[in-house]
Amino acid sequence: MASKVVDLRSDTVTKPSEAMRSAMAAADVDDDVLGSDPTAQRFEAEMAAIMGKEAAFFVPSGTMGNLISVLVHCDVRGSEAILGDNSHIHVYENGGISTIGGVHPRTVPNNPDGTMDIDKIVAAIRHPDLHYPTTRLICLENTHGNSGGKCLSVEYTDMVGEIAKSHGLKLHIDGARIFNASVALGVPVDRLVKAADSVSVCLSKGLGAPVGSVIVGSKAFIDKAKILRKTLGGGMRQVGVLCAAAHVAVRETVGKLADDHRKAKVLAGSVV
Amino acid sequence: MATNKVVDLRSDTVTKPSDAMRAAMAAAEVDDDVRSADPTARRFQEAMAAIMGKEAALFVPSGTMGNLVSVLAHCDVRGSEVILGDGSHIHLCENGGISTIGGVHPKTVRNNADGTMDIDRIVAAIRPPGGGLYYPTTRLICLENTHGNSGGKCLSVEYTDKVGEIAKSHGLKLHIDGARIFNASVALGVPVDRLVKAADSVSVCLSKGLGAPVGSVIVGSKAFIDKAKILRKTLGGGMRQVGVLCAAAHVAVRDTVGKLADDHRKAKALAEGLNKIEQFTVDSASVETNMVFMDIVDSRISSAKLCQVLGTHNVLANPRSPKSVRLVLHYQISDTDVQYAVTCFKKAVEELLKGSTEFEHLVDTTTKNSYGH
Repeated sequence: MASKVVDLRSDTVTKPSEAMRSAMAAADVDDDVLGSDPTAQRFEAEMAAIMGKEAAFFVPSGTMGNLISVLVHCDVRGSEAILGDNSHIHVYENGGISTIGGVHPRTVPNNPDGTMDIDKIVAAIRHPDLHYPTTRLICLENTHGNSGGKCLSVEYTDMVGEIAKSHGLKLHIDGARIFNASVALGVPVDRLVKAADSVSVCLSKGLGAPVGSVIVGSKAFIDKAKILRKTLGGGMRQVGVLCAAAHVAVRETVGKLADDHRKAKVLAGSVV
Repeated sequence: MATNKVVDLRSDTVTKPSDAMRAAMAAAEVDDDVRSADPTARRFQEAMAAIMGKEAALFVPSGTMGNLVSVLAHCDVRGSEVILGDGSHIHLCENGGISTIGGVHPKTVRNNADGTMDIDRIVAAIRPPGGGLYYPTTRLICLENTHGNSGGKCLSVEYTDKVGEIAKSHGLKLHIDGARIFNASVALGVPVDRLVKAADSVSVCLSKGLGAPVGSVIVGSKAFIDKAKILRKTLGGGMRQVGVLCAAAHVAVRDTVGKLADDHRKAKALAEGLNKIEQFTVDSASVETNMVFMDIVDSRISSAKLCQVLGTHNVLANPRSPKSVRLVLHYQISDTDVQYAVTCFKKAVEELLKGSTEFEHLVDTTTKNSYGH
């Protein structure tokens, strides 16, 4: 008992289960850069179906998932993306959307519940002007990490989606912990992200896979995203070894998330 | 004989993980490497640094990221320029990322047939320090060893040292795209750490001829690797329990470097076998490592159609240009496979020259998979 470490720093510390390890060792693989790793293909098809989008693909990290998504939606020079001032993309991703992608961020204050006020989002949208970059994208984060893992409701998400659509913008959801949101809200995950053009979903956090995230979106979006992934250096060869573990994670751990929420409440209640 | 087996000569990237690698992946001791806590990654990186004779090493998901991180780390001031070969992988096959992603300007120098760039041309390409108003600032020279687009040619240690001296005397860094550096080391009979001694950084692929499923390693000074870590995270290459991949990569380095000489021997055998077919010509003397460039000298045969017909015989190859094919050997291609492949090339020629109508539907363009990996 004394030797066990109770690591509460993050859900990224989850180690691969026996089932994941076996799946990795037995994975049927091929060169995914040449487009032919069967395990990756199967996993990506399944994730697209689960998330209710046309296509999906595997990336080494959530940071790359968000970076690619922002860069694909904002692939014209002079773009701006609206996002929360306390969002993971803005605070913890090395400013990559700008330093690497040349995209300008326009932040809107995050409320304690993880949302941004709708009227403040609308006010942040640029109208055409000699002085302004062009707004192309709104990003939400669900669950919202810096607010304490708060869930954005499907009604709120749909409302932001309508704002985006009516202004000709795209909507990306940093859904690193989207399954936690889906479980806590009791909303199927595909319904929860219906309004989004793209979602980035982590497999390596609470779902427990050793590595990786998945981006989902339209086929046209994913086709563009594939090239960016290669450009950034995320094109991996026999990546089925990682997708095999990720597939086990989605299959076996989503059902355990409700328990994590219960344990979090217990922990919170016992701290006086 | 080799009926259902596919003989895949498209690249050495197609190598699949061995049983030893799979077992190592399943048993790997892991932790969160973004917090630098994965013991298997740490052990592997330390081993690679020692093997390459550098202070530190960093595992990355791909050679593209290895080169991108290296160029961006050396050229982290806006307005930088890098000198590299006009036939180099970084310049041709990495999506122009050093510019589109990194804001670094390339200055190309012609690659000779042996993979080198003339020393005087490299020196001429270095921007004069006083010309700041019009010029970017040269900060880096990149070499590639073995040189892919020249057919896997080796850069000698003498040449590498000379370019290193040029770099040093002009205050520049030297990066080696050493995706296949172990092939060069084995072919030249030069220990790999001696071969790259002049370089400030090297990117080494584990997923090509060495056979690991994923990844490359960058090696360099501790200060360089510290910068590289942040760049890797920024690009999205920070992986969590990455020891699962490092375990396989470690097995690859341990088990497969010793097999590379055999790949070179098989490449020569393939070259000689193909050279006997009158419709083809191969310069066997120019086969230094595991690559063979084969030219088609019959005007009736295109590389695209040839590769498509070969595919029907379960031999996979990619066109390099409308009249040439690139073939790459690796340890998962046996001597028997090599003989089978030569037989299939002969058959394919016969079938194509028969002028059979069943091939009329084949479109005479280079396939979308022609590339230079």
